[in-house]
Amino acid sequence: MIKLRTALKYIFLIIVSLISVFPLYWMAVSATHTSIEVIRGALLPGNYLFKNFANLLAASDVSGAMTNSFKYSIVMTVLALFICSLAGYGFEIYHDKAKDAIMSVLLLAMMVPFVAIMIPLFQTFSKWGLLNTTLGFLLPTISTPFLIMLFRQSARSFPHDILEAARLDGLNEFHIFLRIFIPTMKSTYASAAIITFMGAWNSYLWPKVIMTEKTSITMPMLVANLKEGYVTDYGILMLAVLLCSIPTVIIFFLLQKQFAEGITGAVK
Amino acid sequence: MKKRILSAIMIGAMCTGLLSGCGGGKAASTGDSSAGNNTAAADENTLTVWCWDPAFNINAMKEAEKVYQADHPDFKLNIVETPWADIQTKLSTAGAAGDLSTLPDIFLMQDNAFAKNQISFPDAFTNLTETKAFDFTQFAPGKLAYSTINNINYGVPFDNGTVIAAYRTDILEQAGYKIDDLTDIDWDKYIEIGKDVLAKTGKPLLSCQANEADIIMIMLQSTGASLFDAEGNPNIIGNETLKKALETYKELKESGVMVLVNDWDQYITTMNAETVAGTINGCWIMGSIRAAKDQSGKWAITNLPKLAGIGEQSNYSNNGGSSWAVSGASKKKDLAVDFLAKTFAGSTKLYDSILPSGALATWLPAGNTEAYSEKVEFFGGQEVYKLLTDFASKTPKNNTGVYYYEARDAVAVAATNIIAGADVDSELKTVQDTVNFAMSK
Amino acid sequence: MGTKKKFSLSQKQNISGWIFLTPATLLIAIMSFYPMIRAVILSMQTGVGAKIRFAGLSNYKRMFSDAVFMQSLKNTFIYLIVQVPIMLLFALLLASLLNDKHLRFKGLFRTCIFLPCATSLVSYAIIFRSLFAVDGYINNVLIHLGVLHTGYNFLSNPFTARIVIIIALLWRWTGYNMVFYLAGLQNIEYSIYEAAKIDGATYFQILRKITIPLLKPMILLTAIMSTNGTLQLFDESVNLTGGGPANSTITMSHYIYNSSFKYVPNFGYSAAMSFLILILVAVLAAIQMKVGDKRD
Repeated sequence: MIKLRTALKYIFLIIVSLISVFPLYWMAVSATHTSIEVIRGALLPGNYLFKNFANLLAASDVSGAMTNSFKYSIVMTVLALFICSLAGYGFEIYHDKAKDAIMSVLLLAMMVPFVAIMIPLFQTFSKWGLLNTTLGFLLPTISTPFLIMLFRQSARSFPHDILEAARLDGLNEFHIFLRIFIPTMKSTYASAAIITFMGAWNSYLWPKVIMTEKTSITMPMLVANLKEGYVTDYGILMLAVLLCSIPTVIIFFLLQKQFAEGITGAVK
Repeated sequence: MKKRILSAIMIGAMCTGLLSGCGGGKAASTGDSSAGNNTAAADENTLTVWCWDPAFNINAMKEAEKVYQADHPDFKLNIVETPWADIQTKLSTAGAAGDLSTLPDIFLMQDNAFAKNQISFPDAFTNLTETKAFDFTQFAPGKLAYSTINNINYGVPFDNGTVIAAYRTDILEQAGYKIDDLTDIDWDKYIEIGKDVLAKTGKPLLSCQANEADIIMIMLQSTGASLFDAEGNPNIIGNETLKKALETYKELKESGVMVLVNDWDQYITTMNAETVAGTINGCWIMGSIRAAKDQSGKWAITNLPKLAGIGEQSNYSNNGGSSWAVSGASKKKDLAVDFLAKTFAGSTKLYDSILPSGALATWLPAGNTEAYSEKVEFFGGQEVYKLLTDFASKTPKNNTGVYYYEARDAVAVAATNIIAGADVDSELKTVQDTVNFAMSK
Repeated sequence: MGTKKKFSLSQKQNISGWIFLTPATLLIAIMSFYPMIRAVILSMQTGVGAKIRFAGLSNYKRMFSDAVFMQSLKNTFIYLIVQVPIMLLFALLLASLLNDKHLRFKGLFRTCIFLPCATSLVSYAIIFRSLFAVDGYINNVLIHLGVLHTGYNFLSNPFTARIVIIIALLWRWTGYNMVFYLAGLQNIEYSIYEAAKIDGATYFQILRKITIPLLKPMILLTAIMSTNGTLQLFDESVNLTGGGPANSTITMSHYIYNSSFKYVPNFGYSAAMSFLILILVAVLAAIQMKVGDKRD
């Protein structure tokens, strides 16, 4: 009985995994074919990968776009995690009516489509000379109500007896956050890092408005360039798309290991 | 212990990230802007250009740069590859923010969006008629009309969107037809032949994207008709040409002569994977057709069917294409104007050099050179470029109108509903209401 | 939980709390609220492109007589009502399965299931459209099974086109939500589960009695985020169906984008429609907070 249930569980997970992976597989296979073979529906690997790679490198500045995307996304992730987790911690651990109210108001900031605030934001950024800069890319989304709320909700299960014990040990409030909260909440940080990295990596609308120089192009912008012409080379496009997807997948695979140990593991 | 090390590493990473983040940000802000503005903007001999297709208009700009450099050795172009959708977003954002300084000196604009953008953001465009640097009579009139607003020229026409009908001669042959049987015909004849080809070979003559009104707009322009009248008011209810076009569209679908696909990629697939016997589109579609190298020699090009009994009744139309605009905020307007006048409006050498990329001139003097008489192997040895230049000169003018996209989308909705069985007249009323609503601000 | 109330917070701690939340709050105020206030002013103006004039509330009235916008509102709510609950339940189910200490290849399964949202939109749109095409894979399977006789164009019928969008959304975002549940589950002591299993509790009993109550803060978070994400849905409408057939799948954000960038730009009207989305999300989120944001 138990064996049957376990088998069913594995079968279910395998099916869900296969369905989830299929498009990535298709993308990878397509990257090894000529455009016309992709169009005609190739499902097994071909032998055109290196040629596509050479063509892609000749057609676009892949290394430049990769460097920019990594730079923007990593700096964004580190800053956003620190600032938002600090705020989420502050909102929950020291919660009172005023802070709860502020939290609710902050949530409003994510509820309006970005298109609506893009024009005033562009005016400001242009005035401040932030177009085509890393800071210009980062500033609007370093602090998001979403991340703050994620940490606020997670902090709710942070055991208060640990907090009190630390205070008795003479740690000040910021040190409690740094030395106890952060290590304890590893899994939350891992999920926040994955989501933030992915968001920054894939962000498109804002970068395309403020980035007007060749040198500041990102990976999603590079992909958009490839499918814009009158004639699309699907082999090259799929290779670029694959390259654009891989970093997030690797980050996820590395960080998901943090979903293994809970609070008890960290405190021991 | 392990945990403590881990947390120490995390804190360390955060602090360095924080520092390098701020540092990086600052460095980038000074570094980038000085690099960008000093090299590109401060240099008097460099023009910045936005356009989008490396194989096509970017290539054309690079060739134009070479042509202009012959007389101006210090001249340089800074071409920034920017997809059309992004040019539109950047232009709209900058225009609405009232800060056009971010625009380049020259940008490429889709013809269909030209009137809309010029009316919405007049300061973003330079009046080219005023400069007296161009002889606009040398451009195909059907093409020039797109960038002419209130009799003033704001654009230098670039690529040709002349409509072609391309057929698989081998499939036609199986059904007993030749390319001449499909030349100078009307849509009734087209459907008649199409049914026969379908019955004998199982292949439809035409594939179109569902939810898009391209083929209907092509029919409309072939008669010189438009969705708007001369004053720019919607002309939809009682527009016999539009009604006839929609009825033809329905007949094409119901007879099976036209197959509808859901998106652009599937449309390309129908041709490359040989599931259709032909297509009708702007001549830029030749690039995608030619991607299937194994079909070389099996294609031929001719004009499109006409909409019988209505308007000018021509076999010629236009779909797509683009024109160059000079930014109204450019600090180097004179240079930009002179550059365009000496290249895209004055150099047969330029047009000859970009012809292999499929960039067909709408500047008429270019069509007389030898290069345009080349026999194209892929299309069975036809003198394709000469043919297309001829088509372009016969294409009726189109009054796109400022509210072109609103009207076009509404027509696409109507077409979908009509195929599903809706009444044509009541759908036309809905289209008119939708456009009127969009225009009432 | 609840133990905190016993200790009164000292002034010093309270000040620390305020300092902690200041940087993030200030950033949001400058980067979101300031432009939002300017957008409110914009929403009371009308005109073409850069030429605008004051128009009071006319933009807000206008959207209720805009047939396409009303259609997009209806479509968006269909997605919200059907898709979000299924997705969250499914994510919860997957997270609880993958939180099993004894499960092998956990990391691999998790990565696979997360993959869809990391997969670029470009390839995902191409694949989904071709899967559901007339001669696509789904049709082939259905014909083989004898469900259909000839290929059916799923994207040409309003009902099936919406179903395709909902399936696409489920496929893309279930793994994303699973991440938050997985993270949340780590903060629950595993021994509670072991104890429940020893007591003979079934899988669904554990899910209902232990997992869901303890994950409540995370469920609230994902519910609000999914509501927000769905009401601002854009990618699927643009890339999968183009809003068709005949606007039957177009979303509010897609229409707002069109009226800003595709059509003759009317940014005042776009801003007004955007604020309607804000109001709708805010009301729904407030209800969710009321129900779910209690500290017990």
